[in-house]
Amino acid sequence: MNPLLQHGPLLEKLLAGQFICAVTEPEHYQRLQQEALREQLDEYLQPLNRRVAQNDDTSVFFLAYRHIDQDAREHMKQQLQVVMASLLPLLEWLTYVQEALGHDSVLSPGDIVKLQELILKTEDHPSLQQRLQALAKDKFFNSQADSVDAQAKQIAKRLVEHGYLQQPHKERLFFTVTGKMDYLLELVRFIKDEENIPLEESPQQEDLL
Amino acid sequence: MAEPISGMLSLGAERLALIGKHAQTLMKGYLQGEIDPDAFSESTRRKLIDARVLYHPEDSFGLKLRQPVTQLIAALVTDEARRQIHADVAEKLETIRVRVESYREARRRGDYVKADLQLQVIHETVYDLTGQFEEAIHSLWHRLNSNFGFVSSLSDKIRENSRAQEQIKRLLDGISLLNFNEMIELAEGNPVLRKVLVTRLQNHLDRHLASLLEVQKRLVELMGRFREQQARGLLVSQMASFLRQHPSFVVGDYAYRSQVPKLVNCAAPTSVTAAVALDRRADSPEIVGLVHQLYKELALKTAKSTASANDDVLTTTASAPEVEARQQQLKADAEQYFLAVLENKAGDSAIDYLVTQELEWSPEVWLFQILAEFAGLPQQQQRMFVLERSEYEEQWFNQVRVIDDVTLRLGRL
Repeated sequence: MNPLLQHGPLLEKLLAGQFICAVTEPEHYQRLQQEALREQLDEYLQPLNRRVAQNDDTSVFFLAYRHIDQDAREHMKQQLQVVMASLLPLLEWLTYVQEALGHDSVLSPGDIVKLQELILKTEDHPSLQQRLQALAKDKFFNSQADSVDAQAKQIAKRLVEHGYLQQPHKERLFFTVTGKMDYLLELVRFIKDEENIPLEESPQQEDLL
Repeated sequence: MAEPISGMLSLGAERLALIGKHAQTLMKGYLQGEIDPDAFSESTRRKLIDARVLYHPEDSFGLKLRQPVTQLIAALVTDEARRQIHADVAEKLETIRVRVESYREARRRGDYVKADLQLQVIHETVYDLTGQFEEAIHSLWHRLNSNFGFVSSLSDKIRENSRAQEQIKRLLDGISLLNFNEMIELAEGNPVLRKVLVTRLQNHLDRHLASLLEVQKRLVELMGRFREQQARGLLVSQMASFLRQHPSFVVGDYAYRSQVPKLVNCAAPTSVTAAVALDRRADSPEIVGLVHQLYKELALKTAKSTASANDDVLTTTASAPEVEARQQQLKADAEQYFLAVLENKAGDSAIDYLVTQELEWSPEVWLFQILAEFAGLPQQQQRMFVLERSEYEEQWFNQVRVIDDVTLRLGRL
């Protein structure tokens, strides 16, 4: 019997471009921890010019190109442009949520965002409302709505579409942060290092002032 | 001997009662930092100061709690922000040494009362020493398990964590001061001392040591997480502000480098699709089943959409008199067909009637109206007619039947 037979659904998800993490696909994620299985999958994916890749933290698995040809380069370039276009709104959304909910750290995979709580906190603060409004109007989130409620929902919807959030129950407004957020931040760190972006080192300076 | 102890008993009880009596005010003082002197009567204030519960600093208006009282409260309510850890072991060891000497001396002299008293002090010091570790470990675990929730910001948590790690280091240093060979020597030849100094102390300290090392390990792990969170937060906020300041920032052409960065290499999604294939006989029954199912669903859907289309007609009739008039005409024509059947007593098919009467309705609408008219008749009248449908199977593999004509005949009256 083909040893990969039971991994059909996992393969399909990977091929569809999904990021597999402990939040979105706990069982598949668990299986992908086994190196032997990854090797089998790689072998299967060889004619498709794909292999199973992971981020530095090994918190997400996804498919990468095995051999980098012209088509692959073109796709990666476009993909990177998409990510770069969405980067600022995503980062700003993260800081907005952190401040609105009074968290002492940025959202990380597994964290739960209760949309209603976020909406209530935002409605209480005009400055948060302004920030949300500006964010919602951004091309990436693309909301024309005027109410805090509708803006927050549209943003959450887009984040689910892009795989950064997961909504466990369709009718309930709470969201789980996925491992793709880790991937995004690793990419940000890589870009920062690669482009020698000068980020001030003293974190508490603003606090002290 | 009995005199000072009983004196202490009553004095201690009196002062503890004094604290209890003013618990509310003292607790407020603990939380606010000071107490308005007017909160107490003159005599109470003096009593509290004499009992060394409160003191009046020269440079402040209010009364303050003395440090041992603050510490008592902090320990009672596990207030980690104020609780202090005493890591000083050397002093207690010194006390033990001195007391052991004086115990031995008293015994040599035959002063058993004094010897007993010294032995009691030794017991207490050993209890104190282990209790001190127990208290410290309790506090450390409490802080660890609450994730340093008593301070709000991440940088405060990092500071508190390193403070806790320092405390552990001092506690471990303290434990290392305890030399069991020395204790064995001190207890030499005396089973009572041996039990206290060696067995009890060692048992307790072994447990504490294991516990301290575990807390230390967990604190280091937690610190790692704190630092990681801090780094993430910094990265996000600083990158966001950089991008805001440099709206035209473009990253390098990573995709066209000879070594494509690992994270950039993310393959395009492909979908795994399939179509119905008829080249395997074994699959046929299943596919036929699927198609049947599909047609049933389609038929159901058509019925539903016709129903809703009818609803639409109904709603528009209300608003458009013209349409309503046509509807009435259709109904009247259909009724004429029924009357014609009654008169002729012979079965004329509905379509034939439509053609011979040169009516303007499309056959489909006409048939629908006849069927509706028939279905709308009271049961008794319905029995007067026999409705014959001329229908055919639309396709061989489904059970959809299409009615192409109906014939109404008089039934038995």
